[in-house]
Amino acid sequence: MPELDVRIRAAPALEVRSLSYSYPTAAERSRHSPPHGAVDVGCALRDVSLTLAPGEFALLAGRSACGKTTLLRAACGLVPHFHGGEIEGSVLVAGQDAISGGPGEMAAAVGYVAQDPETQVVSTTVAAEIELPLEMRGASAASRARAFEEVALALAIPHLLDRTVDTLSGGELQRVALAAALVTRPQLVLLDEPTSQLDPVAGDELIWLLRRLNEEWGVTILLAEHRLERCLAAADRVIAMDSGAIAFDGPPRDFLAWAQQADIALETPAARLFSLAGLNPLPVGVRDARAQLGRVAARRGAPPGSGVSFSPQPQSRTAAESPGEKPSKRGTPPPGRQDPPAAAIRDLWVELGEADTRRDVLKGVELSIERGERVALMGRNGAGKSTLLRTIAGLVDPARGKTETAGEIALLTQNPSDYLVRERVREELPGDEGLAALRVVGLEHVLEADPRDLSGGERQRLALAIALAGRMEGDELPGLVALDEPTRGMDRSRKADLVELIESLAARGAGVIVATHDVEFSAAFAQRVVLLGDGVVIADGEATEILSGGWYFATEVARILDLPGVITPEQGAGRLDPPEAT
Amino acid sequence: MRSPFAYTPRRGPLQEASPGAAVAYLGSLVAVAFLYSNPVVLAAVGVAAALAGWSAGAGSAVRAALRMGLTLALLIVIVNALVVDRGETVLLRLGEWPLLGRVDVTAEALAAGAAIGLRAAVAMVAFAVYSACVDPDRVLRALRPLAGRSALTATLISRLVPVAAADAARLRDAGRLRGPAASPLGRAALARRLLTGSLDRAVDVAATLELRGYGLTRPDAARGGVLGRSDRVTHKKVRSPHRPPCVLAPLGLARARFRFKSRHDRRFYVIGAVVLAAAIAGKALGADGFHEYPTIEVGLSASTIALSALVVLVGLAPRRRRA
Repeated sequence: MPELDVRIRAAPALEVRSLSYSYPTAAERSRHSPPHGAVDVGCALRDVSLTLAPGEFALLAGRSACGKTTLLRAACGLVPHFHGGEIEGSVLVAGQDAISGGPGEMAAAVGYVAQDPETQVVSTTVAAEIELPLEMRGASAASRARAFEEVALALAIPHLLDRTVDTLSGGELQRVALAAALVTRPQLVLLDEPTSQLDPVAGDELIWLLRRLNEEWGVTILLAEHRLERCLAAADRVIAMDSGAIAFDGPPRDFLAWAQQADIALETPAARLFSLAGLNPLPVGVRDARAQLGRVAARRGAPPGSGVSFSPQPQSRTAAESPGEKPSKRGTPPPGRQDPPAAAIRDLWVELGEADTRRDVLKGVELSIERGERVALMGRNGAGKSTLLRTIAGLVDPARGKTETAGEIALLTQNPSDYLVRERVREELPGDEGLAALRVVGLEHVLEADPRDLSGGERQRLALAIALAGRMEGDELPGLVALDEPTRGMDRSRKADLVELIESLAARGAGVIVATHDVEFSAAFAQRVVLLGDGVVIADGEATEILSGGWYFATEVARILDLPGVITPEQGAGRLDPPEAT
Repeated sequence: MRSPFAYTPRRGPLQEASPGAAVAYLGSLVAVAFLYSNPVVLAAVGVAAALAGWSAGAGSAVRAALRMGLTLALLIVIVNALVVDRGETVLLRLGEWPLLGRVDVTAEALAAGAAIGLRAAVAMVAFAVYSACVDPDRVLRALRPLAGRSALTATLISRLVPVAAADAARLRDAGRLRGPAASPLGRAALARRLLTGSLDRAVDVAATLELRGYGLTRPDAARGGVLGRSDRVTHKKVRSPHRPPCVLAPLGLARARFRFKSRHDRRFYVIGAVVLAAAIAGKALGADGFHEYPTIEVGLSASTIALSALVVLVGLAPRRRRA
């Protein structure tokens, strides 16, 4: 009974009072900022107050660099202990003071999972990694064994326990990091964009796993995420941040109404669909949206089970003619169709791995990309997307088959910072050819800047310019521009900028291929989607066809409406009758 | 690409044994290599170390170590032949060389170099087997109560080395992908970028360690050992009322203390002790009969043969016994 008593009268899982924080000097701030520019060092926390009750599942939303990561790091004691700086206010986790306690003391009460799983593991084997926090707290071997077994079962990773961490995929590593954070049964778990490196399947699995842990174990969850459509339905509450302050705090449905007015970049595709169609209230997920549309259809007298096609599509009407769609985006043939393809891949086989674990990563891939074409390369983690791009770029030798490119290829790999090695943009890209490359990406005005001082989006553009430099004839682009997972950690507004850049590159005659897990981003930029599965092309076709014909590799709008060829809110809204008709 | 020397979890007595038992076993082979100069014994130790690796499933580590070790041995043989002019059997007269003076290659100097090189190669193979078969996490766990700070440093390094290697590979790839008009990557820029990147990585890894509670180390709690499938469990109650509170108290197991031991430990400790004892006895009985100069004399006494045979057989110890 006393234990039950303690749990019932437990202190709030997280209590933040009037918290303001600023990083130390600019140089130090830059050095201490988390990887991939997750924190804008100029934007800290301003008078943040919030309380999370035990068992709540809260979603932390906001644009890049608005202070989400800083708030999470303050809640686990890393700020200010690891980053320095000035802090005011208080942070209590389960009644313990995080500011005076620091991360070590807080570790029993709070688990933290960061964006980059690479630096979140400190042991050689998975088993040791999960066991370490228990060992550090003096747990006996028997209690370690039990907690270890339970967390492994809860996260469905028993098959990974005997493996070394360097053999795990990003998704597996993220699960192991989560297991290590959960094994001490903390009251509060903080997650910083844990799905950013996961494919849609693994991302959805992780979110629903968190929901299950929240419901069955009573773990309080605070999850920072950009892809809100993925997790809004699982959350009890949304906290939106803007410039280091809390701009909104309330239930998901109210958040959508607020975002509609305050920041359209935070709207989910489902909410945007309803908003464009003039329907209310805005839905928090696919199930909610379908239920609402079903009710609307029932009010109109549609027969049960007739779905949501209230406005049958005229035979002559194509997706490209849908209202809200940019006329240049689809329906027009890409420039240079008569030219040789930007890339032609014939019977490509690639083998990777150690001597005793070598396997075929690509198995007879056939692919042709035209100049001016925008192609999304999709597939689950480990399907061979990056390997295909690296092989086209000549970084990997094929075991069989060949790749031919019309002219040069510029490949931007997953981490743009890998391209930035000098202290001035001018030093990275000297001369007229460097300037021409900077002009292509719209960065000719930052010649004297330190690359590390640029925003995440600008760093990505600069890295692309570095890959392009000298591969252009005058202002003419290389035959193929390839981007590998370019939207990691990006908010929707930065993704829109990237879509514009991709469209401008294609309009200037380059074939553009982008490996991505982000179906909404693919719907926004791609004319064509190539789906890889275990090294084989399993689908290749118009984006409207591929992204509307599945469960996981389908946009939220496609999953709601289930209409062939309808993948964006604009297309979907054109298929719904105006509200006065309802 | 994983290093062939990287630890790979496998089912096998050597992998499941405690680090102490593995060190006792492999260390005894290395000790014999350093106690003896007789090429027959050294070759037997080399065969034993290679057999141990193959029996434990670490064939790729053995092959890689043999390649490196034999290359090193060859280098030692050449250098020794060039710089040592002792020995009566002159094979080659190479005349006057700058710095070295008159160079005569003798069979004795070659044999002496071969013995030293063989010893180095044997040590490398034994270390490769250790590296591929002994879980570094268990070694660090064993060290933590004895030297917490050193274990922390070792943990950071053991994690940062592969991370830095992966960073370097990525940076090199990005360097190859730079456009021809961009500044070339260059070694200095790569090194600077790696260094700054490593500092950031070190901070991140240190933060993770802190979050895992590394600062809360309680040495007495860290002695439990790792849990293996072949572990045997013994149970005893801890009576101390001053034991620190455990986060797993709700599980009702916090007061129980378990010890986990591998059933294979005894085998390796006993074999290590037997090998050392036999080596010492053999030394006393003249099993190490080998003289390089002035002419080569290799002892092939019964004790030498017996010790060599024993050592080779010991190499089969990591084989899993059939039920």
